Amino acid sequence: MDRREFLKLCMTMAAGFTLFGCRSGGLTDKLSGPALKDFEDEVRRAMAQMKPGFRLVKVPMPGEMKSSPADRENRFGMAIDLDACDGCGKCILACNQENNVPLVSESLAKQGRFMHWIELRDGIPTMCFHCSDAPCEKVCPTGAANHTPDGLSAMMYKRCAGSRFCGANCPVQARKFNYEDARSLGHAKQFNPQVPLRDKGVMEKCSLCIQRLQNDRMNFKANAGLAAIAGAKSGLAGITGAKSGPAVGTMSGKISWRGKGLQTACAMACPKHAIIFGNWLDESSDLVKEAKVRNLYAPEGIAKLDPSVVYMRGRR
Amino acid sequence: MIFRILLYIGLGLLLPGCAALGYSLWEGPAAWSTDVRTFWGTPVSLFVFWIGIAHAGTLISAIFLALDIHLDRRTSMLAELTTLCALVVAAIFPLMHLGVLENFYMVIPFLDARENFANLRSPLVWDFCCIAIYGILSALFFVIHLGSHKFEQLKTLRKPMAWLLFPLVLWVHTIVSLDFAVTFVPEWRGAFFPLYFIAGAIYSGLAMVIALLAAEGRRIRLLEKIMMAFSWLMFLFWVWNFALKGDWSVSAFIFGALLPQLWWVSSIRENTIGRIAIAFSAILGMWLERFFLAAPSEVAETASNFGWIDFGLLLFGLGLFLSLVAFGRIRLRKHFDGDDILIGEVEVALESESASAPANAAPDKTTTLSILRFPLLLGILVTILYIVWATSQSFFDTFDLPVVSLIPIVYPLIALVAGIALCARNLWEIAPRKLKLFFVIGVGMIGFAAGAYFAGGSSAEPVGEISGPKPNTSDPALSTSGLALSNTTPEALWNARCAACHGVDGSFNEKFVREFYPLPQKLSAGRLDSLGEDSLVNVILNGRINMNPYGGRISREEAVGLVRHMRALAGEDSIAGANSLVGTDSLVVEKSSAGEDSL
Repeated sequence: MDRREFLKLCMTMAAGFTLFGCRSGGLTDKLSGPALKDFEDEVRRAMAQMKPGFRLVKVPMPGEMKSSPADRENRFGMAIDLDACDGCGKCILACNQENNVPLVSESLAKQGRFMHWIELRDGIPTMCFHCSDAPCEKVCPTGAANHTPDGLSAMMYKRCAGSRFCGANCPVQARKFNYEDARSLGHAKQFNPQVPLRDKGVMEKCSLCIQRLQNDRMNFKANAGLAAIAGAKSGLAGITGAKSGPAVGTMSGKISWRGKGLQTACAMACPKHAIIFGNWLDESSDLVKEAKVRNLYAPEGIAKLDPSVVYMRGRR
Repeated sequence: MIFRILLYIGLGLLLPGCAALGYSLWEGPAAWSTDVRTFWGTPVSLFVFWIGIAHAGTLISAIFLALDIHLDRRTSMLAELTTLCALVVAAIFPLMHLGVLENFYMVIPFLDARENFANLRSPLVWDFCCIAIYGILSALFFVIHLGSHKFEQLKTLRKPMAWLLFPLVLWVHTIVSLDFAVTFVPEWRGAFFPLYFIAGAIYSGLAMVIALLAAEGRRIRLLEKIMMAFSWLMFLFWVWNFALKGDWSVSAFIFGALLPQLWWVSSIRENTIGRIAIAFSAILGMWLERFFLAAPSEVAETASNFGWIDFGLLLFGLGLFLSLVAFGRIRLRKHFDGDDILIGEVEVALESESASAPANAAPDKTTTLSILRFPLLLGILVTILYIVWATSQSFFDTFDLPVVSLIPIVYPLIALVAGIALCARNLWEIAPRKLKLFFVIGVGMIGFAAGAYFAGGSSAEPVGEISGPKPNTSDPALSTSGLALSNTTPEALWNARCAACHGVDGSFNEKFVREFYPLPQKLSAGRLDSLGEDSLVNVILNGRINMNPYGGRISREEAVGLVRHMRALAGEDSIAGANSLVGTDSLVVEKSSAGEDSL
């Protein structure tokens, strides 16, 4: 082969590969997204490959957050009633739909690397425990894993560089890493328009349905603002206690939002009502009322880190 | 000649290596074997391995120089070259380890306009700072060494630089060990980890230098002895680790601790091939040790996941290292040649012959100290200023004891400033014109990058990136505002979204705005009318200066509603608004504070 011929061959190959690469979407593009049945099948598969459980130890009732900045009125969390839970896995599917958790491909599924924010470990639903003294947040180099004042261990996806240090440092392995681009693989379905689909290469985990909390907070702010104007117009000095409806509580003379009546997707989906969501600092919430008469437990690895999500078992 | 062969071998290894690197960059962290529990895998182990090798070079050269242990130039220069090349290789792996490569800059502990700050509690941030600084100072040290046989004034700088690098080497590898030791992973915990890592680094680095020296056709018995001492040290650490946690990787133990003991057999020791084999056994053992460390759970399973990509990455590291070392050695051969000239040490030796030994030792130390004094004080000053500035950032309010988390970068910062202050003037004087020009351009580009970093990117969702079905914003049931109110009035939306800054009545929330942003324009009726509805809607959706974009959060219809509501608010106090443009009105301020109280 002389040089000219060789160069010609090279050029043709380059052009060919370029044309091949320029096709819209690429090889893996799928026109239709996954169906709900695919998600149900995956949950079933994850439950069949169940991971071993943790040793549970007794913990006191969560109080105010120990790390700053801490809200003195709100600390959201959950209690999971292990006496009621029968490990049906309906919470997993509900969570997937609420938070647009994607499917994974076969190779990852074989290793048990599902994206599910809730997993059954030895039949016990396990998710991020939203520790107040969270080890994942300490090691995140960019600050993408951070705390909200009301007790949520939050993830800022746009700030995440994907170092996976948080995942390594989580004692209960609650964090999930987006190994693949679920969108372009056709593994993602946006069931809920209020939750963004995550990009490839970022960490994610249970957010305690932060979108529901934020919506309710926004609603409250909108209504309270209107009420404030109404109060100002009618010449009242304030609306102290005047309009404290079911969604609001009072603190230091001001109306404040306590997140009453809110439920996470998993709590709503549980047929046995084993998952109770609420505000640990609100004495009148179902969560506190129930937790007061029960023994509270948490996995041994995080029991000292002041988790916001705990298990209940037996009566006190 | 031998280095030419090494260069070809390196380039040959680089070919499959680059294929593996490209594939894993394209595919992301799913490409290589990662631990199920820790999410970490091959690149992390390769990083620790290469950074270990990078430490021995400077260690040999700098610490021996600082402690007056004599080494000829061929050895010390080769060791420094090894350091630089291994650092380049080591820098690639943590970058490719990242899930979102383009976000790597967020690790830099420097402020941006939105007051985002890297989490200085994270060992990865310490690691990044330390290794970057170590790289800069090692390069400076090497350049000084290269130039010192031509320019007399650089010779006096070598020893002060060596004294700066001596603690830095140990410091940096301590920080690398903290990546593991501060975590909750049981296999990674241990207060002995810094020493363990330093010992491992020196051990593997010495082995690498000994292997390269064999290619050079020489043999330094001192280095071999030190290597053997470290092989016992590693043996002890492994036994200690086993006693503590029950971890035992047999292959690492055999290659790292047992096989190198063949050095005691004189026929192997005296044979070049035998020495190379011992060195490679130590290197292999140390790599295996790092590999099992980064992926602790289910060691057997991880090993079976070790695919051709992992081999490719291994080859890539090796190939790049070999090519860089051989290329550097060939290009700089005139600096290596003439091995009868001993740099630095020979003069000390000659002087000590002429003068009495104790009298010589004292003035020598004082010159080192007097050269180092000013740069060191400058470094300490700059570091203190940085710490005061960094801890005043609002990010540090979110956790206790911020100063403690800054300790790991204290010495590297001091060393960086001191090292640059030490060399800057002398290097500037001897640098050729062209290099000066490049340097100025480089500084300009760094300034530009810092400015771009400070400005930050847009927080808006990039247009057209989402290929999936977007929620229909015109559908009222799927309003993106997130408000579940069936009758979301513009007024309610204003109170929820805008009132925090602009105030419930439109005459902005002065207290909040003063604290966080420069005051926005007053939205008087005249101004609103002159801007027009369309442009105001665009400002709401796309943002402007300090106004954040709300395009992803509210629909266009809602924005129009907001603009009309804003106009209605302005209409009520158009006179007050007009007054406020002049700047003196108590009425508006009173009103806004009243609104704030009732909130």
